[in-house]
Amino acid sequence: MKLGFEESKVVFGLLRAEQRPIEEIVSEFNSIFSHGRQFTPCFSLSILLQDKKMLSSTQRLIAFAILQQAYSSQKPSANPFLDLLINAACDVEAEKYERALVLQLLQLFGSVGSSESKEILKKSAAEYIKSFDPSVHAFPQHEQLQQQYADKVHPERFISPFKDASIRNVVADPDVPRGCDVNSLEFDIQTGAKPKIGSGDRDETVLGLLSNLTLEGLGPHWNRPIPPRLPVQNDELVWLNPVDNHELLWDDGMCIDTSRGAAVRDLIAKALKGPLAPAQQEKVLLELANDPKLVYHCGLTPRKLPELVENNPLIAVEVLAKLIKLPEIAEYFTVLVNMDMSLHSMEVVNRLTTAVGLPSEFIHLYIANCISSCENIKDKYMQNRLVRLVCVFLQSLIRSKIINVKDLFIEVQAFCIEFSRIREAAALFRLLKSLE
Amino acid sequence: MASSSSPSSTAANRDGSASAAEDEAVMSVTRVFAQDALLQFQSGKFDKCLTALSECLKRKPNDPKISHNIGLAEFYRDGCSDPKRLLDVLNNVKKRSEELARTSAEQVESGSNTGDKVALGSKGSGAMGHSFSAVYMDEFDTYVAILNIAVIWFHLHEYAKALSVVEPLFQNRGPIDEKTALNICLLLLDVGLACHDAMKSADVLIYLDKAFGVSCMNQGDGGSTALQQPANPVAKPPSLSTNSSATDGPTLDSDPNALEPEETSEFDNADFDMDVAQPTVLLSSNDISRNPVDISASSVYLKLKMQLYKVQFLLLTRNLKQAKREVKNAMNIARGRDSSMALLLKSQLEYARGNYRKAIKLLMASSNRTDTRLSSMINNNLGCIYYQLGKYHTSSVFFSNALLNCSSLRKDRPLNLSTFSQDNSHLIVYNCGMQNLACGKPLLAARCFQKAGLVFYNQPLLWLRFAECCLMALEKGLMKTNLASSEVRVYVIGNGKWRQLVMEDGVSKNGNLGSFERGDLFLGSDRQPKLSVSLARQCLLNALSLLNRSESSYCKNSLPSNFFLEDNELGEVAASKNSNHKNFHSMNSEASVLSVGLGQVGINGDGKEQRAGTTQELVQNSLSYYADVRNKENLLIKQALLANLAYVELELENPMKAFSIARSLLELPECSRIYIFLGHVYAAEALCLLNRPKDAADHLMTYLSGGNDVELPFSEEDCEQLQGVRAVDYEESNGGSMAAKNSSEDRLGIAFLKPEEARANLYVNFAALYAMQGELDQARQFVAQALSITPNSPEATLTAVYVDLKAGRSQEALAKLKHCSRITFVPSGLT
Repeated sequence: MKLGFEESKVVFGLLRAEQRPIEEIVSEFNSIFSHGRQFTPCFSLSILLQDKKMLSSTQRLIAFAILQQAYSSQKPSANPFLDLLINAACDVEAEKYERALVLQLLQLFGSVGSSESKEILKKSAAEYIKSFDPSVHAFPQHEQLQQQYADKVHPERFISPFKDASIRNVVADPDVPRGCDVNSLEFDIQTGAKPKIGSGDRDETVLGLLSNLTLEGLGPHWNRPIPPRLPVQNDELVWLNPVDNHELLWDDGMCIDTSRGAAVRDLIAKALKGPLAPAQQEKVLLELANDPKLVYHCGLTPRKLPELVENNPLIAVEVLAKLIKLPEIAEYFTVLVNMDMSLHSMEVVNRLTTAVGLPSEFIHLYIANCISSCENIKDKYMQNRLVRLVCVFLQSLIRSKIINVKDLFIEVQAFCIEFSRIREAAALFRLLKSLE
Repeated sequence: MASSSSPSSTAANRDGSASAAEDEAVMSVTRVFAQDALLQFQSGKFDKCLTALSECLKRKPNDPKISHNIGLAEFYRDGCSDPKRLLDVLNNVKKRSEELARTSAEQVESGSNTGDKVALGSKGSGAMGHSFSAVYMDEFDTYVAILNIAVIWFHLHEYAKALSVVEPLFQNRGPIDEKTALNICLLLLDVGLACHDAMKSADVLIYLDKAFGVSCMNQGDGGSTALQQPANPVAKPPSLSTNSSATDGPTLDSDPNALEPEETSEFDNADFDMDVAQPTVLLSSNDISRNPVDISASSVYLKLKMQLYKVQFLLLTRNLKQAKREVKNAMNIARGRDSSMALLLKSQLEYARGNYRKAIKLLMASSNRTDTRLSSMINNNLGCIYYQLGKYHTSSVFFSNALLNCSSLRKDRPLNLSTFSQDNSHLIVYNCGMQNLACGKPLLAARCFQKAGLVFYNQPLLWLRFAECCLMALEKGLMKTNLASSEVRVYVIGNGKWRQLVMEDGVSKNGNLGSFERGDLFLGSDRQPKLSVSLARQCLLNALSLLNRSESSYCKNSLPSNFFLEDNELGEVAASKNSNHKNFHSMNSEASVLSVGLGQVGINGDGKEQRAGTTQELVQNSLSYYADVRNKENLLIKQALLANLAYVELELENPMKAFSIARSLLELPECSRIYIFLGHVYAAEALCLLNRPKDAADHLMTYLSGGNDVELPFSEEDCEQLQGVRAVDYEESNGGSMAAKNSSEDRLGIAFLKPEEARANLYVNFAALYAMQGELDQARQFVAQALSITPNSPEATLTAVYVDLKAGRSQEALAKLKHCSRITFVPSGLT
């Protein structure tokens, strides 16, 4: 945020208008820099004021007036340059008329209507100096002014402490011949005289500063290193190799004879209804073995599985063993372990455990199912039969280490105790004990 | 398909429709047309093929398979010009087949319940919540259509989509016929490799090795062993590995016990004609002669192919030692045949080992300059090599040649489906981006990455590179909002006695970067990437979320934001965007599970010509090694991302965020000392900005060793290490000896502070910290140290000037200012 060159010229023009009433200058300033935008020029003026040599006495008066008046509609503590004004009013080294003017400007804060104070703004800067009478002015102490105007001032914080600590970023770097006094008037531009080495135009500098000062001062400088670019990673550059053509595939299945495995399908359909003759059974097993994909076409859905298990357990085992790769195999197993317990279903489960290895959660489920079937059956004779079956089945599972006894110990033990009158249950119990 | 020779059994047509003799007659006519259509298709007469297909359609209206083949024939007839239309057709076919299968399944179920086959009213089956089983699909299977969808995605370089389509097919390959299954495997291999998905590639490799390795041994028997097996395969004798000495491939030691009988015989009937150049795959297995000679000839071809895939897999997983062995095998198999692919892979191997000269020689040897397709790849690969050699300008010539080759490929007529896949410009352009970045051209690089984003959008690295473009543009002062910060700017105002110097304070140089970026974050009005610090932040956040997602789990949400995908979107985007292109997914856990129980390959002493064990072991060892490597790389990427992000947040004046990010950077395990240094410096600055100078000092103090001495925050080795995680060879990590690192010295080091400069940086920051708190003496001491190391550092100079001015020593300040060589005196510009 800088003052543009044109605006700088305008501001500079205002500073030089030593013959115009201050009031007029201030209102022109306010009309150019609307509220909210006046901070930038004011800031530049405050920088210029800090170097006492930079502005002439009338220019300084005008600058002070602008600084105060630009914020006159607000409380004194809202004026960002209040400190500057107070310091100027107390600066014992400064000209008396300057201190007096600043003091009167400060009084404008308190008494907006005070006609006496307002009067001074009607004068021009030159007139003010000319008519200045030092005897009528008393200068209060710094603390007093501070208390009067600035007690509610909270130090203005910029966003960062670095900026809080920042200072004027202008340094005088006089370019005069070595050994000469930089304060000598001989290096000011003399009208009509030939410019000599080391001479410079103060006005030009003021104008230049106005248009080049930025709001930020100079602060301590943190060095923020830019992170390094990540070195190229191992596989990052794309190395190209030819790839297969991967042509599109014609669908051979179009209009083909759908009778693939029709014979087996028919036999399986029969097998759902009753036991197959040994020759038929052989044929099914042979066909299934010959064509590994045939099993997917034989039409056995999970829902039909119980019928197949009851009527042709061997075929059921064979089909299930072949379907084991299918994602839907769990569905078949679920049907299997939940179907009514029977010699055949037990046989199928038993064979599958040795042939393909059923997931243990299914086996556990099946055993639980068996046990509860035994407990619930009413017919005593059938119950004995079933219990003996289950016991033999469990013994075989335990002996072949297909199930881990520990997983089912409590259930099985309770089962043995409940049916301890049956010889096989007692035997199973002894087996359990021996394993303990 | 074995049973086509028995058309007599007509009884139960599976959809339960008809069994009458007329129907059979119609069907047999249809079959004749179907055969004809296939023949015409194979001989490239697509019009005639379509005529025959329309005859089929007349007799079997609405048959999805006929629609499928019609779609195919039309696609080829129209010169393969519109793959996206074909995708639509195929997706329709898939949808319709599934619907048909569903109704058919309902019929089957209800039929069995009532015992009446023709009962169409499905009253009883209302509650049927069955999942879709292969058993129901039967003649409505969609494997071929799905495979073709994946094939098209593959050719369009949409590997993630292709992967998501073809992978389920592989998982459910059980019911799929051999020929299609083999095609699925090969496609999945290519897609998996293209996605850098080692896990998926490994699955297929192991599976194919079992299936193919065994069928290879069996070929002497002239047929499948499955036929001779006893009818009760439940208790099959493990008799398959007896004649393994008959062949010389490395894939022989397959483990027969691990095989299902089904799998061993799986490919006995498949046709192995997989010639790269010819569309023989189109041949139906129905027609291929059962001539064993044919099979053995083409099976050698398949063997070579498998061998090459294995090499590619080993290269991907950076198991370079084994890759070297296997590529030798491949060369042996390829002897007398086309060995260009093997040569290319050998070149890639040498490239990966850092033997760049040798890699160039091999590339030149494999080059067949008349083949545009190949020469674009070779140009690209040469570009990669020269990039690694640090010869960025040479590499840029090769990359742009490769791009030229591609654009001439695009003009080739007639079009072919593979024309699309051979146009690798979206991949090559990534390399161009890297090269431009290395040459310090962030705007060009960003444009390249923007194009490459069409393929790489779900890779964290792409986004990191994009952010780097932004930061480089910032560094070079290419953004509208800032000026180059590498020097002090001083305005000279007035002259003579009244001369004044106004120092521009660089701290505020990027004052309001954030406010510039409203509206379209990414693209300017000219559709060119608009680099900004906020864009860098967005990119880094993208990269982080991609990285975290790939680390954490499979659950892949859609991208947080997607600047790239605009008009070239088809259906399915939403579905497939979920799977990553380069899949950095959580392999570590899986691979370690896999490798449990397997001995470490390569540790077993006698190094020479040890049989690498089974392919399975080889693959799994590679996997777990690769998971390690990947882990380390991801960690490094994460460090870079966090460091960049902390920097960006500081630039955007968000010290809170910057601090928390810097802290998480410092908390990363095994963090490079360079990034730790950055973490401390960024955290300290953020804390200063938060007005917590004491905490800031704590961060800097870690480097203070006694008095006011600052130690080197990192060493030259740390720089090398950051640069060179790359050249570590699998062989070396196993204690083998090799001379691969010889050429790495040529490479340019990373563009970053030297350790000594980093120390100066710390001195400057100590000085700034003290100066800020008004402790000018301390500040002066530190800044003097900084200036003694880097006399021309703008930051050090400005802080020194500040300290002097603050202490009222304007003459010293002026002297320091004028002493700095990186200073620009700017005239006041009054005119």
